[in-house]
Amino acid sequence: MSNRSPWFWLFLSPVVLSLLLVVVVPFVYGFIFSFTDWNGLVANSFVGFQNYVQLFQEAEFLNSIWFTVKFAVVTVLLLNAMGLGLALLVTRSIRSNNWLRTIFFMPNLIGGLILGFIWQFIFINVFSDIGNRIGSEALQGWLSTTSTGFWGLVILTAWQMAGYIMIIYIAYLENIPKELIEAAKIDGASSVQRFKNITFPLVAPAFTVSMFLTLSMGFKIYDQNLSLTNGGPFNSTQMVAMEIVRTAFSDNEMAYAQAKAVIFFLIVAVIALTQVFYNKKREVEM
Amino acid sequence: MKKKGAALVSVLFAGVLAGCSFGAGSSSESSEDATTIEIFQGKVEFNDQFEELAEKYEEENPEVDIKITSVGGGSDYAGSLKTKFASGDEPEIFSIAGPTEAANYEEYLADLSDTELADLALEGTLNPVTKDGELHGLPFNQEGYGLIYNKDMFKEAGIDPSEILTYEDLEKAVQTLDSQKDELGIETVFAFPAKEKWVPGNHLSNVYLAPEFNHMVMEAYKAEGVQFERNKEFKRMIDLQNDYSIQPTLSLDYSQQVEQYFSLQEVAIIQQGNWVYPSVEQMDSDFAKEGMGILPIPVDGEEGKLPVGVPNYWAVNNNSDDETIQAAKDFLDWMYTSDVGKDYVLNEFKFIPAYEGYNTDEISDPLSKEIYQYASEDQTTGWVFLGYPGTWGDYVGSNVQKYIDGEMTWDELVEDSKQEWTRMDQ
Amino acid sequence: MGRSKERRNLLGLEVFGIILGLVWLAPFYLMIVNAFKTKREIFSGVLGLPEMFTIENFIQAFEELTFLKSLFNSILISTLSIAVIILFSSMAAYALNRNKSKLSGVFFFVFVAAMLIPFQSVMIPLISMFGSVNMLNAPGLIFMYLGFGCSLSIFLYHGALTGIPKALDEAAIIDGANRFQLFWYVIFPLLKPISVTVAILNVIWIWNDYLLPSLVLGESNATIPLKMFYFFGQYTKQWHLALAGLSIAVIPVIIFYFFAQKQIINGVSEGAVK
Repeated sequence: MSNRSPWFWLFLSPVVLSLLLVVVVPFVYGFIFSFTDWNGLVANSFVGFQNYVQLFQEAEFLNSIWFTVKFAVVTVLLLNAMGLGLALLVTRSIRSNNWLRTIFFMPNLIGGLILGFIWQFIFINVFSDIGNRIGSEALQGWLSTTSTGFWGLVILTAWQMAGYIMIIYIAYLENIPKELIEAAKIDGASSVQRFKNITFPLVAPAFTVSMFLTLSMGFKIYDQNLSLTNGGPFNSTQMVAMEIVRTAFSDNEMAYAQAKAVIFFLIVAVIALTQVFYNKKREVEM
Repeated sequence: MKKKGAALVSVLFAGVLAGCSFGAGSSSESSEDATTIEIFQGKVEFNDQFEELAEKYEEENPEVDIKITSVGGGSDYAGSLKTKFASGDEPEIFSIAGPTEAANYEEYLADLSDTELADLALEGTLNPVTKDGELHGLPFNQEGYGLIYNKDMFKEAGIDPSEILTYEDLEKAVQTLDSQKDELGIETVFAFPAKEKWVPGNHLSNVYLAPEFNHMVMEAYKAEGVQFERNKEFKRMIDLQNDYSIQPTLSLDYSQQVEQYFSLQEVAIIQQGNWVYPSVEQMDSDFAKEGMGILPIPVDGEEGKLPVGVPNYWAVNNNSDDETIQAAKDFLDWMYTSDVGKDYVLNEFKFIPAYEGYNTDEISDPLSKEIYQYASEDQTTGWVFLGYPGTWGDYVGSNVQKYIDGEMTWDELVEDSKQEWTRMDQ
Repeated sequence: MGRSKERRNLLGLEVFGIILGLVWLAPFYLMIVNAFKTKREIFSGVLGLPEMFTIENFIQAFEELTFLKSLFNSILISTLSIAVIILFSSMAAYALNRNKSKLSGVFFFVFVAAMLIPFQSVMIPLISMFGSVNMLNAPGLIFMYLGFGCSLSIFLYHGALTGIPKALDEAAIIDGANRFQLFWYVIFPLLKPISVTVAILNVIWIWNDYLLPSLVLGESNATIPLKMFYFFGQYTKQWHLALAGLSIAVIPVIIFYFFAQKQIINGVSEGAVK
């Protein structure tokens, strides 16, 4: 199919059209609008970098970035530790391993919005009930402070996504030749040594894959944030994605929200490009 | 096999094409000459009863077809309305809340001054929706809020609610209640839902800002800034409710406040309005009928006045043809002036009417009755919060949360909220 | 000796795994158990079993969510979007894969690069653009899903197509088939495994998506996630109904999961590792 073949264009046109209208044009428009006083309907004038200057002075926006960064870092570490742990567990020859895979993965299929509501019930009602029974103050008033809101989001995300990361690690673990492990056993390597010298190096690529996956996911999280804490208390648990939606559709400050969205894009793009760069480098080394 | 595949593709395409019509399909079902009136409104609580009433109207007027969509509860009415207009599927009648929303939809609002209701509406209720001699909305109903208290507990503790006028009176009563917690069988005096930004941010702030704007929504709406002269009074009321509340207040929500703690009689006082009645009734109908009274929130120099206002207005879309606009107006007139309509308004919707011509003895719940009493004696302050710029009420509510959490001092709260008003007003 | 120690370890792991599995399921258990309680019972305790299993909540939630209608909307939007994504992405990937020109490379790069753009960065102009041409409706939404979903799908198809020899194409052309016939009867069937992966990855996302449909769809076309806010209002947080509603929303997904478990896990693992 050459460039001149009508078939080439015919096959390509539906997706090109949709990508153009849904992603490319809005993206370019958005970038331009972020330099105007656009209100969703009309843009009266260019305001230069005013929106950007303003957003770097807005405590709430900066706070949402910082909160998101903390959240992303903690969930990346936790998710990878849990994902690897679960994967190691269910790849052992225990009888329940298929059932466990099914169970651990299950939360992934259900939307973040629904899970957020379920966990809201757990953190508020169930925790305080348990707290009353065992007389623990620490279980009272969850989601009412910034830190319990933070850990609530981390726990929800870890529970939801660990099964997904587990699947990635399983894919790599099952590629490790059994003979290699057996041979090491015969040579008298302890299980710790086997893990450190055989398993770990062979699943290292999985670590890169899932680290970047979880990192960009952590940055983009919205549904869970909305249904679990709704940003509260006082918008202190509001992450960047939600901050942008709020600015746009509750406060109706479209151009300003779009400027935030551009900054958001830059952050996500840097993460993704680092991954591409890192992968390239690793491929060269190998 | 091959045939099957091709058939599948054509089915898919047919589906896509068919899909094109199901977005806008709903309005054209009825017969040619019927006038369809689509009503889009934000008060979900009375949806079922409202639909019943609409059916009665359709029986009397077979040429009219009424379709009601209620959005609210959790979904955001303002957003849904915006989407509805943006998608071109405009309703004929929709609800708007106060002058801020009226301004957003100004180009769509038909003049309603030729309706019967325009003459019957209680004095002052139309001000927020009148502009340049045109009337843009008709009130749903009146609502009022204050401190709802448990009558039996007050009696048991020897407190006469009619003697509570000033802040000091209230403070003393609260201390009395607090000292007798065990005898009264309560956990504490208040349930203060600081989690709900609107409770401190809109309702409570309102009583301290109303004097500043002469109790007029429109003055607040037009004001470019706010002085917050009575912020100290605002503060001590928050402190009082917060100090004597179930803790932590930052996680206490409306449902817990009303249904769990107040209805089950674990606290003595809550700051809420007559809208709690159905919820309390659902939990304990005897208590709802007999056990609740309402007091004004004390404001220096404004003692004994309850904030009463119109939370929602009916608006008619002027983008329809004249016939439809007239049909929409006729329906609204009928709803509030016919005998069937009046019966529904009072007994089924449980509204406090905002129109003349009602037998107010029939108001069914005691809270509404008391509030109506305040209104008819002119012992009311305005609902100026409906004229706050943008989402300023939420903003203040969020600052109150910071204050309670210790993140922000009171002076910072006042300064920051004042600045935000000016910023949002631009 | 080593054997029995290993067996004991395995037994320990087994027990640990089962406990962990139960912990994992606890949120679902708590959701379902409390969905059978009355409002009053929830206020007095959430850990125990209900005094009396009442299905009242489920009936009411079912009605208030207009569940059959929202389920229908969800199914319609998901299946149509996925059908469109599969068909058009596989066609495009095929065109790109069988054309080695620079231009083709540029297109492929653009598609992949578009994956970098988070939804929020295009959301505002997108909604405004589609709103101005009255396309904030179900067909508009399906078109948007094609735009957002085609990048990853093309990427996956492109990879799979590399493994299908060109000789097949040539043979079909000699037999007198045109390009579309060739694609539809020869190539597309061979892509079936990857189509399953594409379908699964997209259905998980589209079925659960909240933000985009909330901005696009009106009340009458609401999908299941949009309805979930019904019980969480300013004035109404009704846990007994909400939990019943959430249970009802979760059930179709779990049923789907048990029927297509293997394909789902394989699909996800393939989508993630590539």
